[in-house]
Amino acid sequence: MDIRLPQLTEGADSGTVVNVLVQEGQKVKQGDTLLELENQKAVAPIPSTLTGTVTKIHVKQGQVLSVGQVLISVTEETGAAAPAESGAAPKAAPSAAAPASVLPAGPTSDFEYQSASGAPPPASPAIRKMALELGIDLRKVRGSERGGRITTADVKAYLAQLQQRAAGSKTPAAEKIPFEKWGPVTRKPISPLRKAIAQAMVRSWTTIPHVTQFDEADVTALLKQIEKHAPAYEKDGSRLTLTTVLIRALVPVLEKYPVFNSSWDEAAGEAVFKQTIHMGVAVDTEAGLIVPVLRNVEKKTLLELGRELPALVEKTRQRKLGSEELQGGSFTISNQGGIGGRHFTPIIHAPEVAILGVGRAAKGLLPLALSYDHRAIDGADAARFITALVERLQAFPDQEIRR
Amino acid sequence: MTVEPIRTEVVVLGAGPGGYAAAFYAADRGKKVILVEQDKRLGGVCLNVGCIPSKALLHATALLREAKESEKRGIAFGAPVLELEKLRAWKESVLEKLGQGIRGLAQRRGVEVLQGRGYFEDSHTLRVETDRGQKFVHYDTAILAVGSKPALPSAFDLGNKRIMTSSEALDLEEVPDDLLVVGGGYIGMELGTVYATLGSKVVLVEAMGSILSGMDADLVRPVAQYAQAAFREVRLNTKVSKMSTSGKQIRVILETGGEKKEELYDRVLVSVGRVPNCANLGLENTKVARDDKGFVRVNEKQQTSDPSIYAIGDVAGGAMLAHKAAKEARVAVEVITGEESAFRGVVMPAVVFTDPEVAWCGLTETEAQARNIAVQVARFPWGASGRALTFDRPDGLTKLILEPETERILGVGIAGHGAGELISEGVLAVEMGATAKDLAETVHPHPTLSETLMECAESFYGTSTHIFSRKKPVKETPE
Repeated sequence: MDIRLPQLTEGADSGTVVNVLVQEGQKVKQGDTLLELENQKAVAPIPSTLTGTVTKIHVKQGQVLSVGQVLISVTEETGAAAPAESGAAPKAAPSAAAPASVLPAGPTSDFEYQSASGAPPPASPAIRKMALELGIDLRKVRGSERGGRITTADVKAYLAQLQQRAAGSKTPAAEKIPFEKWGPVTRKPISPLRKAIAQAMVRSWTTIPHVTQFDEADVTALLKQIEKHAPAYEKDGSRLTLTTVLIRALVPVLEKYPVFNSSWDEAAGEAVFKQTIHMGVAVDTEAGLIVPVLRNVEKKTLLELGRELPALVEKTRQRKLGSEELQGGSFTISNQGGIGGRHFTPIIHAPEVAILGVGRAAKGLLPLALSYDHRAIDGADAARFITALVERLQAFPDQEIRR
Repeated sequence: MTVEPIRTEVVVLGAGPGGYAAAFYAADRGKKVILVEQDKRLGGVCLNVGCIPSKALLHATALLREAKESEKRGIAFGAPVLELEKLRAWKESVLEKLGQGIRGLAQRRGVEVLQGRGYFEDSHTLRVETDRGQKFVHYDTAILAVGSKPALPSAFDLGNKRIMTSSEALDLEEVPDDLLVVGGGYIGMELGTVYATLGSKVVLVEAMGSILSGMDADLVRPVAQYAQAAFREVRLNTKVSKMSTSGKQIRVILETGGEKKEELYDRVLVSVGRVPNCANLGLENTKVARDDKGFVRVNEKQQTSDPSIYAIGDVAGGAMLAHKAAKEARVAVEVITGEESAFRGVVMPAVVFTDPEVAWCGLTETEAQARNIAVQVARFPWGASGRALTFDRPDGLTKLILEPETERILGVGIAGHGAGELISEGVLAVEMGATAKDLAETVHPHPTLSETLMECAESFYGTSTHIFSRKKPVKETPE
């Protein structure tokens, strides 16, 4: 029979072998330490769950293991601790109870199901199967139904809680993969900017429940307007572009639906509504994505924006921005149209609650993707918001463009 | 001559309710499967000499009892005419239909059926003795589902066909005048009922102090009452010390509390348990380990000590129930196909098809006492059920075993007409982690026996419509 790596504690589902303490041919007893495993929390002994003779060791020192991986194979001795009670029909006792205490408990749920009768936590067979597949210990899940019965929603809430905690703590060291094995590779250190982007993305993605609302605006007329008036702007040292028009088009919509210009302050338990609109603009640089902020766009004309934005973009590309210019945004726009993409799901730039993704217009139709934080905003609001924006773009007031 | 081995991913040895379920499920999941069965007809003990024939006979003979009962209600039929040959043929036709059904299902799934006895040459090779000679099956994984057979202690094995096990008793060769049933477990009780109804004078002896030993006493009571009336005698705490042939009869020496009695019977049915079919399988050529009673040892994934061999059903020990084998079949196949699965926390129902039937699932009151688990028990006697009275069977009881703190239903027990069909709601309740409140709040149709489950839950709160209770039942704490 095989002995596999048990679930150690919540969140600790992998580790590195520090020491293998048994040899092939050696006799082991249930409870004997087979090997020592190190994870981000501690070095822990992994005990044998069986009694018998080791026939094969499947792991070696330094190897990274994950839960369920076979550690060693053991030939069981007849008459030794039975693998299953053949007497009682309902094998009720969860057999993997032992490993739970192997490692000092990490920052896991403080809830633990207790039952005087020793019955496992009440949950339907479907949920128990799901827990088995996910490697969840249902005793740690607080059931919300009568008698503490665990529902799918309870399991989801528990998972979200685990994820949040995992995101809060350091991410475990990733497994070292021997890419060279499959062909020559080049290795480059990850730049600090890239690392910062990665961290910001992981934080946004894991803490914000994202929903993306799609729509298209017919910008045939708008593009003609822009084309017509662009030369006049150029004469005044400004650039009339779809991006600046989009920013202006967003202003009245954000004013009408201020929740899209708010922040979700979890700690204070407050929604923070901002009186000004500071527009983050996603800029593609050689080093990677940077989002500088245009201040008070609600007070600025297209002419002003047409001067400020190109200057800001240039400064961004030269990496000459001050940290002030990267902070305090209240909404972000990411226009990929200049590059050519059409549909994508932008990730919200926390602590903002929404972002507008814009693709390349084709046959006059401009793809719009509004990602929003579902904690703060509901789908109906998002639909209203994007509809208002589409209407605004399809009938953008000529007097605002005309010089 | 060398024989080219047949290659397969999965071989299932034994086509009983565990084996064919495993073969079909593995095929449904895309495996190449060979099903090996020594008998011509698929279905194993359950279909051929177990559940199905016994239930067919119980159904057929129940009519005799009903007809007799009917006289007092003003509907009489006169003396019944018994044609044993026809009864046997009808029973046989049921088995044949089901056996063919399984064969058809195997065919449509592309499961190859090999008829013959299987023998393990090593951990990956099964030799099958077919009527066309030896065949060798080389497999990745084997599922051992060879089942069990009735135990016949050597002291009783006189080579006399008048001493029967359940298998022979179901053949119904004749209706003996005097029948001794040794063993008051469910098989002895069910078959004793069949023969008693057909006209045998049945004496049932049981070594323990109760029939259906291990079951809650209040659930056994209606069955014991019935048996006392229908059998000539139910003798408890009694052992058979000797059996011998005496002309066309069997001479039996029975011992009750040190007192010996010698009696003559036309036939004896020995129903003292079942033993695993592990002999002559070549298990010694594999790494499969067995326990001291001969059952194959498995873990909760149905894995034996041999990495390429799984075991399910009776041969793997535990409750010898077809539906337990079928559940284990699913677990084994899921593990083999890489899915996370385990036979863990499964609520296993059991039904005894006596008259009346007894069924239970989850925790029993007896088990709670033995394991010192504090429970509360709610009972609803069928005398208060309108439906039970309409067919003259108030001899029933529905009970719930509850966890006091949470009112969660840990077990359900039912004795009474149709209990076997009623228990499934109890199984679902226990599996779902339902509470007495859940059951009480769920509307049940009137007039049905299923109402007894709802009213039983209501009675726990002292609010059952059809029984009056002064207050909530007191907490029952085991000593």
